[in-house]
Amino acid sequence: MITIALSKGRIFEETAPLLAAAGIHAAEDPESSRKLIIETNRPDVRLIIVRATDVPTYVQYGAADLGIAGKDVLDEHGGDGLYQPIDLQIAKCKMMVAVRDDFDYFGSIRSGARLKVVTKYVKTAREHFAAKGMHVDLIKLYGSMELGPLVGLADVIVDLVSTGGTLRANKLKAVEEVGDISSRLVVNQASLKLNRDKLQPIMDAFQTAIAKNK
Amino acid sequence: MRNWLLPEYIEDVLPAEALRIEILRRKLLDLFKVHGYQYVIPPMLEYMESLITGAGHDLDLATFKVVDQLTGRLMGVRADMTPQAARIDAHLLNHQGVTRLCYAGSVLRTKPDGLALTREPLQIGAELYGHAGIESDIEIQRLLIKALQAIGIDEIHLDFSHVNVFGSLIESSQIDAQLEQDLYAALQSKDQPAVAALTKALDHTTREALLHLTELNGDKSILAKAFQVLPATPAIKKALDSLQQVSHAIDQLGATVSFDLSELRGYHYHSGIVFAAYAKGYKGPLALGGRYDEVGQSFGRARPATGFSLDLRGVVSALPPAQSNMAIYAPVSADPALATKITSLRNEGRVVIEALDDADADLNELNCNQKLEHYNSGWHVVDVVRN
Repeated sequence: MITIALSKGRIFEETAPLLAAAGIHAAEDPESSRKLIIETNRPDVRLIIVRATDVPTYVQYGAADLGIAGKDVLDEHGGDGLYQPIDLQIAKCKMMVAVRDDFDYFGSIRSGARLKVVTKYVKTAREHFAAKGMHVDLIKLYGSMELGPLVGLADVIVDLVSTGGTLRANKLKAVEEVGDISSRLVVNQASLKLNRDKLQPIMDAFQTAIAKNK
Repeated sequence: MRNWLLPEYIEDVLPAEALRIEILRRKLLDLFKVHGYQYVIPPMLEYMESLITGAGHDLDLATFKVVDQLTGRLMGVRADMTPQAARIDAHLLNHQGVTRLCYAGSVLRTKPDGLALTREPLQIGAELYGHAGIESDIEIQRLLIKALQAIGIDEIHLDFSHVNVFGSLIESSQIDAQLEQDLYAALQSKDQPAVAALTKALDHTTREALLHLTELNGDKSILAKAFQVLPATPAIKKALDSLQQVSHAIDQLGATVSFDLSELRGYHYHSGIVFAAYAKGYKGPLALGGRYDEVGQSFGRARPATGFSLDLRGVVSALPPAQSNMAIYAPVSADPALATKITSLRNEGRVVIEALDDADADLNELNCNQKLEHYNSGWHVVDVVRN
């Protein structure tokens, strides 16, 4: 049995065509079903629907053989015990540093200010600012980061930006790119060794489908 | 204050499981013994310098540390016994020829890892020093397969790599330490997009070779492919040749074999073939091993070295739950014939529990499914009738 872990919403929608290319069709729509384990047309393949941030954990401990996880989530997880061979080129966006419209980000850096940062992506943010040689204080939030600079909780946010609409609506501006984000196929290491005959065709089908979409 | 609570990822092993682990430990040590591996008992803790010598930063972070009250120096509780065995070989035994050592004991890790997800693995392993040829690698791999078979694991799978493939690419294109570290991390996770991004500035041959490494994993056929797509330098050719030899040798032992040239575990101290054992039902590697010829150097005497170790707690984690050893209950009696009978049963390896008084004992709780009864002028073992 091959178990594929993925999250509902955008990732599931954009993964479905790739799964179809590998001959895998979900028997139910996870958006409408309340089941967490979704059977497929193939008796030896099933999908499990988990939170996006949990995908690497399920795959790391072998509870799932394959998973679809955003690069943002993988970087936070650290990727221990995982292979991440394929960039699926889906759910694309950018990890950005953003500040209030009237905040002079680069001026504060030059003056050596110690900035307060709110983010869901603590590890990514820590590494980004460390690479720039900046001292920052990190405050972990689980959502609505945009509020941070508006209510004086922080000077800066680090968050995913796809259209920039939320930033504009809250009078924030993106000032710096941390990195490109897209979803990756992650593979449990032991599973690749032991179930290669089943996993490799799925991975190859994904590769071919991605190359076609380019 | 719940003072009976254990720290996280630290656990007691209870009777049935403890017995099974101990039996396996003895079985493996006996197996190592008849193959000529001498048992050593290194200390639980020693100075940090010697404990992590040659093994790199990861082991340092995995080691619990204490300050020695006698000298003020920093000591560590061993997180891996392999460097200890290497130290014993390099310094204490001073053999010129081949030395075979084995060991078994608890090690401590600051973070849980391995199959059992524990911070206290029970490490057992065998190491061979003083022989640089492929024959010693094969001896160690054969011993590992026999050890896993002795534990009762079938469908064993060995995955091989060779750190010199990556190592010689790094060396020949003079890649700096930071890029080497980044490439190492990217290859470890077969992150082809990252390798592509990191190698943009490198020469074409090296770049292509590194990109190929992320895909060079699979059965024997990938070795042939590796010969075609990797640069034909002497170092790479030698590495691939030795993998081919290993593949022939292991094929005959009932284990399946695969190769993964981007596997670089222990790249900083390994120096040749590295391998990991997998088996059906296990979510990760059961045993790890490989060649580490340079480690002895930091103890003053470089010796060719290869070996493997495994965590017994991890290995039993995917076996069916351990069964308690069933016992025979003996009543209180002054009859010398009973004492004789009990002794002879125990000599056969049976468990006999003697009653301490006449009170009714809970035979279930004592794991007794049989008892001794006196009839026909003798003592006989009869089944306990359960109601």
